Amino acid sequence: MEYDNLSVVKVRDILIVTMPPDPDDVAMAFLQEKVLMAMEQYRAKGVVLDISAVETLDSYFARVLSETVQMVILMGGKTVIAGMRPSVAITTTQLGLSLGDAETALNVDRALDMVSESLQRR
Amino acid sequence: MDDRQGEIAIGCESDVIVVRQTVREIAKTLEMGLTDTTRLVTAASELTRNVFLYAGSGIMRWQIIDSNSCRGIELVFIDQGPGIADIGQAMQEGYTTSKGLGMGLPGSRRLVDEMDIVSKVGAGTTITVKKWIRRS
Repeated sequence: MEYDNLSVVKVRDILIVTMPPDPDDVAMAFLQEKVLMAMEQYRAKGVVLDISAVETLDSYFARVLSETVQMVILMGGKTVIAGMRPSVAITTTQLGLSLGDAETALNVDRALDMVSESLQRR
Repeated sequence: MDDRQGEIAIGCESDVIVVRQTVREIAKTLEMGLTDTTRLVTAASELTRNVFLYAGSGIMRWQIIDSNSCRGIELVFIDQGPGIADIGQAMQEGYTTSKGLGMGLPGSRRLVDEMDIVSKVGAGTTITVKKWIRRS
């Protein structure tokens, strides 16, 4: 597919989704669909959204991310957003954005731990 | 091609990407710091979305500016949209007319060094932002 530059890898029950550096709006809309379809297909219980390559996080991007977290919840899953760059964290906060109730982690490693732990507690 | 100024048409959502990439390139040639570059690119992204959302189309003009041995980037977003009736209100925290899309003007204002808004209802809006290169 044309906008298929998103990598989705399944590790045990968790999907690791790697965001490209500068996705356009169409790619972002495609992200939600692809993640949710992959959840169904692989019977995943959790999602790690790796945004460590992302250089610009504007209000639209933030909204799509927090929407995705809500959508994954509706399908019975848990999401952790991982790897936000320092410059992006500074800019996002000054712009006044939040990612809603989304859980975040320093990197994919820690995000995997967080998702695994919460799955074990269930 | 003049490498000190340019213009980009804003007509559809994918132009947001073109604007972001252009601003990032200019910042890179001026050796702007990473965090300031991210701030300026993000502000440009928001202001481009505003043009697209409220006016449907417009342009962004960019130029490299010099003042008192300081160097910076000026971005001008011009549209012929509905205009802003009350700029003071538009600059208030949390004020939006577009269901939360776009952090509005105050968010973008915090990411740049200077912001100037000229608007006339029914005629359009011109928003000028400047970001200076900080030398450490």
